[in-house]
Parts: sequence; C-alpha cells; structure tokens
Amino acid sequence: MTNMQIKFSHAVPTSAAPLDTREVKLAARNLGFHYGKFQALKDINLDVPEKRVTALIGPSGCGKSTLLRIFNRIYSIYPGQRAEGEVILDGENILAPTYSLNKLRSKIGMVFQKPVPFPMSIYDNIAYGIGHYEKLPRSQMDDRVEEALGQAALWHEVKDKLKQSALGLSGGQQQRVCIARAVALKPEVLLFDEPTSALDPIATGKIEQLIAELKQQFTILIVTHNMQQAARCSDFTAFMYLGELVEHGVTETIFTKPTKQQTEDYITGRFG
Amino acid sequence: MATVADRIYLRRRIVNVISLVLSGAATLFGLFWLVWILWTTVTKGIDAFGLHLFTQMTPPPGEVSGGLANALFGSLMMCLLAVLMATPIGIAAGTYLAEYANHRKIGETIRFINDILLSAPSIVLGLFVYTLVVEPLGGFSGWSGAIALGFIVLPVVVRTTDEMLRLVPGTMREAALSLGVPQWKVNIQVLYKAALPGIVTGVLLALARISGETAPLLFTALNNQYWNADLTQPMASVPVVIFQFAMSPYEYWNSLAWAGAFIVTIFVLLISLSARAILLRNKMAND
Repeated sequence: MTNMQIKFSHAVPTSAAPLDTREVKLAARNLGFHYGKFQALKDINLDVPEKRVTALIGPSGCGKSTLLRIFNRIYSIYPGQRAEGEVILDGENILAPTYSLNKLRSKIGMVFQKPVPFPMSIYDNIAYGIGHYEKLPRSQMDDRVEEALGQAALWHEVKDKLKQSALGLSGGQQQRVCIARAVALKPEVLLFDEPTSALDPIATGKIEQLIAELKQQFTILIVTHNMQQAARCSDFTAFMYLGELVEHGVTETIFTKPTKQQTEDYITGRFG
Repeated sequence: MATVADRIYLRRRIVNVISLVLSGAATLFGLFWLVWILWTTVTKGIDAFGLHLFTQMTPPPGEVSGGLANALFGSLMMCLLAVLMATPIGIAAGTYLAEYANHRKIGETIRFINDILLSAPSIVLGLFVYTLVVEPLGGFSGWSGAIALGFIVLPVVVRTTDEMLRLVPGTMREAALSLGVPQWKVNIQVLYKAALPGIVTGVLLALARISGETAPLLFTALNNQYWNADLTQPMASVPVVIFQFAMSPYEYWNSLAWAGAFIVTIFVLLISLSARAILLRNKMAND
C-alpha cells in the first residue's frame, strides 16, 4: 500500500483545515467490490476526515455510489454482491463478519437519492428507528423527535402536523424527514447518495445548507453528480473513474489545480 | 385545390371516424348484454325480495313460502372460514416469494405453480377436496366446503401479496434496513404498511369470487334443507340453492333462485365498491 497518507501537491487553502491534522473517522483500505463477476471497485484507499464533508464525484458508473453503499454494508442484502479489503471505522474493520450490523448502522446513517418516507406519520417516521435501539417513555421520545426534526431544519414546518402522513409532504420536506430519521439515531457518520437529484433548486439549496450545518456534528460523505454542489458544500473531494479513486484532496485544490489529467478533463466538462 | 398532404389528412380523418364508430359499437354491444343481465337479475330479484328470505328456511318442493336463511348463513360461514384460513397462509407465502425468494429459481417455480392453481377450474379443486377431506371423514360437511373455497382464495392472496410487496420500491427496504432494523421487522412494520391497501383489496376480490362459486361446493358441502350451524354436517349455500332451484319446475323455487342471485350480485357489488374505496383513499393519501 503506497498512499496511506493523502497526497497534497499544492498549498492547502485556509478555508479547510489540513487533512492530516484532523482525525480520520472512516478509512477504506485496498477496498474492492464485485457485482457477481463484474469488478466495480479496484483497490480503493480513502481517508474520510472527522466532521468534514467529503464529496465523491465522477461520471455515471464510476463506482461512487457503490463505494458509499459499502460503508454501511447495505449492499449485503443482495446476493452476489461482495466487498474485499477493509473499511476502518474508529479502528475496527466494519467488513469483518464479526462486526455487528446493528452497531454499524447505528453509527453510520444513510440518506438516499429519492426521498423514501415510510408510509406512516411524520412523528412515527422519526420514532421508528429510535424505538428499535432505545425504549423511551413518551415524553422523551417527543423530545428526540423534535430534536431530530430541528436538526433537519424541518421542525417549524411540521410541528403542527406530526400526526399526518409523511407521504403528504413535498419532495424537499420528505427528504428532510429522511435526514431527520437518520440523525435521530445519533450516528457519527452520514452517507448521502445524491440527496438532491430528485429535488428542485430551492429544496436543493435547503439541503445543501443543512449539510453545512450537520458537519458540526457528523462526518459526512456525499455522492453527487453535480460538480457545483461538490464545490459548494464539501471540504474534500474524491474523484473516481472506472472503479478507481483517481484523486483525492481539498475541494478547492481539486477544482482549481487538479494534479491528474483525468480529473481536470472531468471538472472542466470534457467528459462525464 | 387539394394537395397531397390534404388528401392524406382527409383519409386519416375518415379512418379515424370509422374506427371510433366500430369500437364504440363493440362497447355498446358488450354493455347491452351486461345491462340486460343485471336488469333481469334486479327486477326478478326485487319481485321475490322480502324479509322472509332472511328468516325462513328453503322450502320443500311444492310449498309457496320459505326463504334462504339457511343458505345465506351457510354461504357466509363457509366464505368467511375460507378467507380466514387462506389469508394468513397466503400472506406468509407471498411474503416469502417477494422478500426472500425473489429472483431465485425456487421463487420463480413457486410463482409458476401458484399461477396454475390460480387458473385451475374450481371443480377440480372441489374434486381434490372431495378425495382429501370428504371421503376420509365419511361425509359432506361445511368444513370441506370452506376448505375447497379456501383453495380458491389461497393463490389469489399469494399473488396479490407477492405483487403488492414487489411494488414497494427497493429503496424503502434499503432505507428501513439502513436504520439497523432487522428484515422481519421491516417486513411487518414498513413493507406491510405500504402494501396493505393492495393486499386487503386482493382478499376482498377473492371473497367476491368465492361467494358465487358453486362447483367446489356441490360435492364438498352438498346442500341442506334445514337450518344447520354445525360445520361437520352438510351445509346449504346460496349458489348451490340457486343451481337446484333454478332448474326445478316449481315457480316459487325459481323466484327464490332469482332472489338468491340478486343478493349475491349486490354482495359482490358492495365488496368491489369497498375494494375500490380502499384503493382510492390510499391513492389520495399518497398524492
């Protein structure tokens, strides 16, 4: 393994702290992934710094969503999909069969491309996940639901209709219900898989603003097709191409002075 | 001066009018018979309708009084029992198909066999139950009638549960599982909630179907001229009574058969309406 340390070829901008001074929360080590016989990821090494936003960019099919889906082992519900290598969370390999899925998923939450609220009330959407881990009396559960909806910047919009079905909300609100549902478990890492691709620009703006606030408390990984979005809301960016991690570094550097030709071609719109 | 384009346009309009008229006429032709059937059932049914249908037993030949109380009760009992027995099994099997065996060979095989059962003639199912239940127990009974009807309900419920669960987007499963909730809890607490209106509709439509089934009851529950609430004894049912009374030479029996047909039709209509209401309400809640 050659790149345990992430290389920085250019001066680190002052807007983000240098990577090596922050603690690495999540790290992929020689990570590979197979859909049946097809190898979708090859030898990925990636350090995700704590309480920062790391964006995964790259053309369709480059493996960025696949990589994200390894981090909470959601791929494991499909037969024929398997990962090799290691993913280290707080010093433990989460891909080890002995690592509890329950523990993993309480530590790493996920928000999907399309908003998928459960067919129940707004309140129950949030309380559902919490109830699986903790048995709380009603008043404490109320507080937790309010806290989570507050963190998702949704509380003021829905506080008078908590008993109504979450399916009646707008797309942007539904996505914030999904974010609230994930943060309600008090995870440490949040995975966003193209969270705004199904939303209009105003809802997208709200979600991006929210991500900027959430990074105070959570380590965030976001997959996005939208390069402006990566530039706007991430501190670090990893560029992937054909199942490989091409370049990873401070977002500003990646977007202004990429070291690899492929990265430059992609961000300047020559392909992808 | 008509250009080529004008002529083509004119020809298309003529063809369009002709096809519109033909398909309209075909629809009217189909509707005509349907309305006639319903009209006959309703008028003849209403003539014979009265409270006595629900309070008096089926009369012996030649009498000019009597009702359908024993047949209505028998039908209701056997249909409800069939649904009660077949629904839990069907939902469990449909869940297995959609959630555990989807895209696997065993799942495809079971689905195929279930489809055969779904389209099996009901008299075959009756015959099956005759050999399986009636013969060993040594006689016709309400239970065997309910079991025969249950075999009709079962594949319908398996199929609807399977299909309704597969309509639930995969991302909802992923979202629920990504909270760390185990699969069986996700099935019961999230996926069933999403699929429930569809499953209930399937059960209701199965109930509507068996409420008019005659063939499987002929040699399982047989018939019974008297009031009977004992499921181990032969039991009357509305479709079998219709069958027997409609073919008889007695005028009063004929009118009772029409009354029975009327009641079954209204019952099926009400079930279909409530199934639609459930789907509509669910659709409105989602929009």
